[in-house]
Amino acid sequence: MSQSQIDILQRTLKREKAARKAAEKILEDKSRELYLVSQELHVSNEKLQDLLNEKSSQLKGVFNNILDAYLVMNLKGHVLEMNDAAKDLFGYDIDHERLNVVNLIYMDDEEYAFNSFFELSEKGFFSNYTARVVTKTKEVKWVQINASIIYDTDNNPIAAQGIIRDITEDKEDEDLLKQSTNRLSSLILNLDSGVLLEDENSTIVLTNTKFCELFKIPVLPDLLIGQDCSDSAENCKHLFQDPEYFIARIDELLKNKKQVLAEEVLMADGTILERDFIPILKGNEYNGHLWAYKDISLKRKYRESLETQKNKYSNIIANMNLGLVESNKDGEILLVNQSLCEMSGYSADELVGKRINKLLPYIGGQKIIDQQKEKRLKGESNSYEIKLKNKNRKVKNWLISGAPNYNLKGEVVGSIGICLDITDIKKLEKQKEKILKELEKSNNELHEYAHIVSHDLKSPLRSINALTSWIKSDNEGKLDEMTLQNFDLIETTLEKMEQLISDILLYSSAGSLTNEKEEVDLNIVLDDLKKILYKPNHISIEVLNKLPVLNGEKIKFQQVFQNLMSNAIKFSNKEKGIVEIDVKENKSFYQFSVKDNGIGIEKKFHDKIFKIFHSLQESKESTGIGLSIVKKIVDLYKGEIWIESELNKGTTFYFTIKKSINENSTT
Amino acid sequence: MKKSLNVLLIEDNTIEIMKMNRTISLLKLDHKITEAKTADEALKILEKKDSLPDIIFLDLNMPKISGIEFLSILKKDEDLHHIPTMILTTSNNKKDVLDCYKIGISGYILKPLKYEDYVAKIESALNYWSINELKIS
Repeated sequence: MSQSQIDILQRTLKREKAARKAAEKILEDKSRELYLVSQELHVSNEKLQDLLNEKSSQLKGVFNNILDAYLVMNLKGHVLEMNDAAKDLFGYDIDHERLNVVNLIYMDDEEYAFNSFFELSEKGFFSNYTARVVTKTKEVKWVQINASIIYDTDNNPIAAQGIIRDITEDKEDEDLLKQSTNRLSSLILNLDSGVLLEDENSTIVLTNTKFCELFKIPVLPDLLIGQDCSDSAENCKHLFQDPEYFIARIDELLKNKKQVLAEEVLMADGTILERDFIPILKGNEYNGHLWAYKDISLKRKYRESLETQKNKYSNIIANMNLGLVESNKDGEILLVNQSLCEMSGYSADELVGKRINKLLPYIGGQKIIDQQKEKRLKGESNSYEIKLKNKNRKVKNWLISGAPNYNLKGEVVGSIGICLDITDIKKLEKQKEKILKELEKSNNELHEYAHIVSHDLKSPLRSINALTSWIKSDNEGKLDEMTLQNFDLIETTLEKMEQLISDILLYSSAGSLTNEKEEVDLNIVLDDLKKILYKPNHISIEVLNKLPVLNGEKIKFQQVFQNLMSNAIKFSNKEKGIVEIDVKENKSFYQFSVKDNGIGIEKKFHDKIFKIFHSLQESKESTGIGLSIVKKIVDLYKGEIWIESELNKGTTFYFTIKKSINENSTT
Repeated sequence: MKKSLNVLLIEDNTIEIMKMNRTISLLKLDHKITEAKTADEALKILEKKDSLPDIIFLDLNMPKISGIEFLSILKKDEDLHHIPTMILTTSNNKKDVLDCYKIGISGYILKPLKYEDYVAKIESALNYWSINELKIS
């Protein structure tokens, strides 16, 4: 070992000794410190123990006196301890009986209960466990439980404790609240007004279908809840007639935060909305606001059209030529129009409030008026004529149309009368009656006159005939051939004259229908005529179809056929003369025809032949009146007459007789 | 045996009276014709109750009292209403015919245009009454 090595070792040893000494010294110091600390610790430990004891007993007292139920159970659910509140709540008393919490669990909540218990053992606590329990008396109660696990000093779980709050009543209240909230929500959802509730941050709290509909938002209202709506006004401003004003007004409302109700907003499509802005305040704190929009277009339109109608009828009433008077049940005048004032001579002021019959006294028939009024008050409308004196004491005839007047409840409150002054009409009516009587009289007179005239005209003819006859017989053998021929001419002329007078008489009486109307079977008329009419043997008369039965004067129908048939016979120039009578039934008239195969009539005379005294042939039987009589009678029965004819081939006369006139003519 | 009749002709027209008279003489009949030109005249004649006519021919169309009026007076008179009265007229007015029959007539003869026809009608009418039994005055 070298000296240097030894030196190193010796120096090391020396340093070690010194170090040990120093260490010993530190150890000594630390030991002393430790002792002191341990002394202190002991003291504080004792203090702590005291404190713990104190706290424990304090806590125990709290638990015992706590208002909510409190219980402690072991990990198998056996209840170890419960306070009085718990005893009251569950109905069990563990001083007398055993209780396991499992027995308390309400069947439907079982799963939730076991899950929660599991959670408790995992996490060491649970809070706000809310479920139903069944008490000893089988009562179901809602409880809320906060629970925690109790550990021993080695941190092993040994028990669990819980505070149970009876929330049955709360729960019931909550249910009620929920129900009414639901009701309210569905009410709002389906409200006829569009509703939007915003909170103070412009977040939508509530809205409804109508709101989405009005603002053309294509989503369900539920989806809007929670959305920010601060720029929704901007987005929908195009829906409004004056978009800028709409925005400005919304801003103003939001700024003012003052309730504004029933403000009208016009939409671009013509819809009229009524807007309510209702700020929601909780105390003085601003909590949001409610918008409500209601479509009042229809209401407005109704009101406007109602107004228009009212104006229209008011105008009509005011300006119509009929007098209008509204009276109450006692007959006091409530309202009159201008025409009634003019009719009565009184002003509206003079009339209103007065009884009608005081100002306008009826002449006779008060009884009738009372009866009519009675009827009206029973709800009947009526119409009658009265005579009264107006303000100028002039007797007037009024036609009254009265109707009961009802109030909104449908009760009769009076009458409304429309009055027409028929004084002049009455006068005219009387005049008309008088004129008609005179006309009838003069018609009869004319008829008589025609007979007298014809008699007066015929008498001289007879005289002349007698005189010529006497001259002839008195001068028998003395007269030359020429004179005798002239006498014959006188006789022929007389006969022509006689025929003319008879025809004029017929024509004058053909012009009017007498009252002698009967059912006329034309078949019989024709049979008779065939017997009466002179008919050469070479002429045959045929009725092609069965003729109808007409209503009217037999003599007139007979005249028509007689004239036409005798013409047909008269103007026959064929070896075998044929006269055919036919009828065609139309909807409203019968069309008759009388056809011959005679000489025919030139076209240019077709219109002229019906004119009086227009005979185409100069013959003693033909006066030119026959066809005029026919036309006159056909006119009388509202028919028409025309002919078809070809020279030398024949003529057909057509005429119609109207059915309806014919039917009406029976009355 | 034909009776000779006492005929009262009430007719305002002279020629008509001549016609009747000439007819009687033409037919050589033995009837007595009394003429009255107006109804008044006729009533005066009828006042003589001891010589009342057997039959009357009456014209309707007369001035003052018309034929129908006269007929009414006649038929209301107790002493006269039995006398058969025939109308002799040119009027075939239906109304006149009806009225006359209602009041009471024994015939209604229309004066024909031709004298020969007149003679024939009057002859048969007179023949008819001359074979009838009449009230003897």
